[in-house]
Amino acid sequence: MSDPTTTSTVDLTLTVNGERRTAAVDGRALLLDALRDGFGVTGPKSGCRTGDCGACTVRVEGLIAKSCLRLAVAEQGAQVQTLEGLATDGALTPLQSAFWENNAFQCGYCLSGMLFAAEDLLERVPSPTEGQIREAISGNLCRCTGYDAIVDAIASCAGGERPNDRPGGAPA
Amino acid sequence: MIPHRFDYVAPDSLAGCIEALNTAAPAGGDGEDARVLAGGTWVLPEMSRAESRPARLVDLRRAGLGGVTGTGSGLSVGAMCTYAELLASPDVLRHAPLLHTMAEGITGGWALRSQATVGGSAVSARPQSDVPGALVACGAVARAVGPEGERRFPVAELFAAAMHSSLLPGEVLTGFDVPSTAGAGSGYVKLKRGGSSWPIATAAALVRLGDEGVCRQVSLVLGAVTATPLRVDVDAALVGTTPGDDGVREAAHLAGAAVDEPWDDLLAPGSYRAAVAAPIARRALTMALVAARTTIQETRA
Repeated sequence: MSDPTTTSTVDLTLTVNGERRTAAVDGRALLLDALRDGFGVTGPKSGCRTGDCGACTVRVEGLIAKSCLRLAVAEQGAQVQTLEGLATDGALTPLQSAFWENNAFQCGYCLSGMLFAAEDLLERVPSPTEGQIREAISGNLCRCTGYDAIVDAIASCAGGERPNDRPGGAPA
Repeated sequence: MIPHRFDYVAPDSLAGCIEALNTAAPAGGDGEDARVLAGGTWVLPEMSRAESRPARLVDLRRAGLGGVTGTGSGLSVGAMCTYAELLASPDVLRHAPLLHTMAEGITGGWALRSQATVGGSAVSARPQSDVPGALVACGAVARAVGPEGERRFPVAELFAAAMHSSLLPGEVLTGFDVPSTAGAGSGYVKLKRGGSSWPIATAAALVRLGDEGVCRQVSLVLGAVTATPLRVDVDAALVGTTPGDDGVREAAHLAGAAVDEPWDDLLAPGSYRAAVAAPIARRALTMALVAARTTIQETRA
């Protein structure tokens, strides 16, 4: 049986956005808290902490997950990708560009989770219908009520098409 | 951060989990008893809100209880089987398509599909969850293992009351045996307020038709309208007939009339749930009938 974590601080090793790192985290921390406070990545946001709002969405071992529903110590050794790991060398991903072009965020709190949900959808269904898009983001709440713009942004990436390649796709 | 101190263990065998569940946690914690952690989607928020304060958390993730496999006579669904695993399984489509349809519509978005588990949802016994009613409709048998060994029982007996399973202290739910419903038509309908809302009412229906389209067997289970899944006997309306709109309407009427103690919460009052039971039942039965007729046509072709 593993060492009790009852009262202790635990050395948690994760591969965060491709970099293997270790941080001291409280044994009671949720993965969300460990990422923000222990590893200093604040892309995942703390919203409802009940799994409803999706603001804390990250990838764990390649699968999108709500990090408020994971115990940090249970993820020892896991590969985690956060918002910070999406853009490479400062270049936005096509989805990030599409959200920018379509004004698909206002306060930005839901943005990280929306991007992961959208990316996950487009990997499964490269050319989704509007219904599939809305269903894919059903676990992500936007309280600025910007859903139409978010759906437009995701739809503009259908079929791998980059929004900047579309006629008339220049920034408004 | 979870406010109280607790011990976390993830034994790499079922025996290790049962032992951890039945031995005292080390000193230093300030909770009570031990609790099983499956997908964590209910247990961790409850602990975050200090509604649950286990002294020890026993994580099943290494106990080998995941996945779903086809058996000679149906499916074996592990307690740690995720919705994503249900959806990816051709055996589920063949033997219990109702579970596939149910998994497609769960609350919480795609992130929850690879995170939440069938067993965890069942043990949580939430009236508004999809899983309890769907498992009852499929005639699943629950498997639980404790210090005294394994026991098997009809899954309906697992749902003791709202938010209460009938698992004994120190027992772990290990999975379900689901008999094949191949050849029957299945229908699953859920009424919800919005895309991310919990179900207000669910209806799961299975219909088996004979060669001439005569109904041989029908099964109807309502979820979310009562504290625990409600099986409704609609044989009188459909069995032995060639079901048409009148028969389905009569069966739906029986379903509505069966809801005498509706579940009542912030999502919807009991009176509303009772009122929508019949139309939801009618839609599920209609869907199951269409599927059953299609199955017969495919068999003949």
